[in-house]
Amino acid sequence: MNDLTSPLWTNLTSRERITGTWRSALPNYQNQPSPCLNACPVNGRIAEWIGQVKKGDTKGAFVTLADNNPFPAIAGRICHHPCETACNRNELDETVGICSLERFVGDAALDQGWGFPAPPAELAQSVAVVGGGPAGLSAAYQLRRYGFRVSLYESKSALGGLMRWGIPAYRLERAVLDGEIARITAMGVDVHLNAEVGDADALAALRREHDAVYLATGASLPKKLPTLDYAAGWVVDSAEFLAAPADQQSARTGDHVLVIGGGSAAMDVARTARRLGRTVTVLTLEPEGSLPAQKVEVDEAAEEAIRFVSGAMLQSAEAGDGAVTLNCIRVAFSKGERPGAFRVDPVAGSEFALSVHTVIPAIGQDADLQRWAGLLEATGPVIAAGKDWQTSTPGIYAGGDVASMARFVTQAVGMGKEAAHAIARALAPDIARAVPAELPEVGYDRINIAYQEPHGRTHQRLTEVAERLTTFDEVQQPLSADEAKSEADRCFSCGSCIYCDNCYFYCPDMAIARLGENGYEVDPDYCKGCGLCVAECPTGSIHMAKDDNA
Amino acid sequence: MNEVKKIDYADDGQFCSGHVACAGCAEALAMRVILNSVGQNAVGVVSPSCSAVILGGHPLSSARIPFLHGTLESAAASASGIKRALRAQGKDDTTVLCFAGDGGTYDIGLQALSSAAERNEDILYVCFDNEGYMNTGGQKSSSTPSGAVTGSTPLGKATQKKNLIEILAAHRIPYIATVSPSHLNDMAAKMDKAKAIRGTKVIIVLIPCLPGWGVADHAAVSTARLAVESGVFPLLEIEDGLRTRMHPEHKIRPIDAYLAQQKRYRHLSEADRAALQAEVDANWARLSAQAAL
Repeated sequence: MNDLTSPLWTNLTSRERITGTWRSALPNYQNQPSPCLNACPVNGRIAEWIGQVKKGDTKGAFVTLADNNPFPAIAGRICHHPCETACNRNELDETVGICSLERFVGDAALDQGWGFPAPPAELAQSVAVVGGGPAGLSAAYQLRRYGFRVSLYESKSALGGLMRWGIPAYRLERAVLDGEIARITAMGVDVHLNAEVGDADALAALRREHDAVYLATGASLPKKLPTLDYAAGWVVDSAEFLAAPADQQSARTGDHVLVIGGGSAAMDVARTARRLGRTVTVLTLEPEGSLPAQKVEVDEAAEEAIRFVSGAMLQSAEAGDGAVTLNCIRVAFSKGERPGAFRVDPVAGSEFALSVHTVIPAIGQDADLQRWAGLLEATGPVIAAGKDWQTSTPGIYAGGDVASMARFVTQAVGMGKEAAHAIARALAPDIARAVPAELPEVGYDRINIAYQEPHGRTHQRLTEVAERLTTFDEVQQPLSADEAKSEADRCFSCGSCIYCDNCYFYCPDMAIARLGENGYEVDPDYCKGCGLCVAECPTGSIHMAKDDNA
Repeated sequence: MNEVKKIDYADDGQFCSGHVACAGCAEALAMRVILNSVGQNAVGVVSPSCSAVILGGHPLSSARIPFLHGTLESAAASASGIKRALRAQGKDDTTVLCFAGDGGTYDIGLQALSSAAERNEDILYVCFDNEGYMNTGGQKSSSTPSGAVTGSTPLGKATQKKNLIEILAAHRIPYIATVSPSHLNDMAAKMDKAKAIRGTKVIIVLIPCLPGWGVADHAAVSTARLAVESGVFPLLEIEDGLRTRMHPEHKIRPIDAYLAQQKRYRHLSEADRAALQAEVDANWARLSAQAAL
C-alpha cells in the first residue's frame, strides 16, 4: 500500500488486500475418469468423445475413440456396453446410449473413409501376432501406431476371428467388419492368411525371428456335453454352424432345432436358425432373466418367436423315427465364485421331454492349451499371463480367449491394446505409453444436476420382426445425426471440463480467469478456498485440494 | 436441447478482488453481477451492513464507482438527495443506487425507503436480505422467517417474516423484483430492466448467510437454489405495484431439503416443518393467484 494520505475518500481498490492468505484449500482443475471409462473394456475416453459429438466434431470423436479401440463401428453394434450400466445418468433418468453413439461415429468414419495416420517413425523391432481376431487385430493396430513391424498370422482364410466366424451378419454387417479390418491392415501390417502356427515348436521359432510374439488364438475347442452323441447326424457343432454359409446351415438342420446354452453364441445360433425358417427352442441351465447373453439379444430372440426352456438340463437323447426325443429335468442353478463356474441341482420329479429334429449345443469354447504344452504354462483353463500379459516364456505375450475367461469381443480388444503397450514398454520404453495414473472416479454425487433436466433416451429403432426373419440384414438401425446430437447432449461429461464458465461466474472473489481453449486458472492471491466453483461445476472436473502454502 | 445453460453477463471488473466478505459469501457474488450491470456511470449509497464492510475498509474500495457510506436509517433519503443534486447538475443519466441489508431496509431504514417510494424518487434500491443482523453477530430482524434460530431468538422466531414486497407494492412503485444468487442470468436481466425504468426500483436479493444460517462454505448458491425450488423465495417481478410475474415452474420440491441444509432450522419438530410448509404453500398460492390476474 502506498498513498494512504486522503482522509475522506478511498484511493485504491481492494486488490491491495491479498485475501488468498485466508485459504486452507485450493481448487484444482483435473479431468478425472467417469464411471463409463472405468467400466469400459478398452478404457475409452467416453466423456471426451461424446463431448466432441456434442460439438459436431465427429472426426475428432473418431480420433479419440480410435486411441483405444480401432473398431468403433463394430463395438457400437455388438459391445456388451458395461459403460451404460455404470453411467451416472441412470440415477437421473436413463443411461446415455453410449453404444449407439459409438456406432454413429464408427459408421461416419467408414462412410467418410477416415483412416489411421502413419506412425511417426518406422522402428527396427518386429512383433509377430498370432491370431487375427479382435485381440490380435487390436494389438497389431496399437503396435503399428508405434511403428513396430508387425507380422500377423491367421489360420483361416480371412481376418476377424470370432467377429467373422461367430457373429451373424444381422448383428454385424460384413461390410462394416471388412472396412474396419482393412483400415488396420492399410497401416502396413504384414498379413499371412491360412498360416496356422500349429504347435509350441512353431511358436518358439516365431519368437526367435521376432522381438516379441503376441498370442491370441482364441478358444477353438467346443465344450462337450457328456449326454450327447456328437457323432450323430442330428448333432451340429455351433461354431461350425455359425461359420458355414447359409445353404450349408440349411442342409444341416431339420424343422425343429434345439439350441443348448444361454450365452451369446447360443442366441446367435438360435436366431440364425430362425432366419432359415426353423422352429427354434433354446434350453438353458440358467433360469429366465439370468442368461449370460446380453439382455437385448435375449429380448430380440424372444420377439423372433424363439421359445426358451430355462432352468432345465438335458439328461439323455434318443433318436427315433425322424425326430429326436430329449429327456430333460428342471434344475436349481447357482453361480460359482469363479467366472463361468456354477452348480446345478436337479429337481426330483420334474422330468419332461422335448421332441426336435436337430440339436446344436452352444455351451462355450475352451482354449487349446495342449498345442502350447511345454512352452507356455497354463492357469486353469487358460494360458497363464502376468499383469503385462507376458506368458511364462519371456517375450511371448498372450491375450483374448486363449488367456482369459473374459470372453466379450471388446474385452479382447482391450487385452490386445494393453499387451501392445506392455510390449512397447519392453522394446521401446522411451516412446511407450505409460500406465495411466489411477485417479478417483467421478460419481453421481459430484455432478451438479441443477444444470441437467430429465430427458428420455433416444433408442435405436429395430427392424420389424416379420422383416427380420426374411433376411440376414441388421436388426438395429442407426441413429440419425439429429438423434445422435440429442443423445450426446444427455451426457453429463462426468469428470471432463465443458468450459461452461460456471466456476468463473460463481467465484465471489473474481479469482478465476478464463484462458479460452486452455480452460481456467485460479489466482492464489484472492482465492479464499470456499469451494463454490467445485459445488457449482456441472461435471465434477474441479476438485478441492488441501493447500498448505497459502 | 439438454445442454448446460451458460451464464452470460459481462464482467467489466466493476467489483474487485480482495474484498473481505466471508469465503463463499453469496452477497459478494450478487454484488459482482449488480455492479457490473450498473456500470461506471453510477453513484452508490451504502448503509451500515455486510455490504458496507464488503465494499470498504477505508481507504480501499472493492467497487469502481463512488459509494457514500451513510447511516442505517437514511440510505434511501441520501440516495434521493444525490439523485436530485446530479439532476441539478444536468447528470440525470447517472444511476443512483442503494445497498442495504434487511436490517437497514425492513427495520431501521423502512421510513426513509417508504418516503422515497411515496415520492417515486429515481433510485435503484438493492436490499441484500440475509434475514437477520448478521454483521453484528446474528440477531433477528423483522425479515427473519418464522422458526429460524438467531442470537436473539434462541428457540426460533415466533412470528412470520415481514412481507416487504407487499408493503412496497402498496406504494405502487414502478418496479419490484426478487433475485437469487442461484439464478445469475435472471439477476442480470432484472438489473438491466430496472436500470432502464425511471422512478423507485427495489431489488431484493436472497443471501443465505454462511455463519448466520449455518450453511457450509460451498453451499450458499445451492441453498439459495433450494429456496427458489421449494417456493420459499419466489423469483418475481411486480410492476406499478399491481402486475405480478413469476415462474410457476420453479416450485418443484417440498421445503425439507432447504431446511436440512441450514443449522438455524435444525431444532424444528415435524409439526413445525409442516406449519412452515403450509405457510410457504399459502404464500405461493396467493402469489400465483396474483400473477394470474
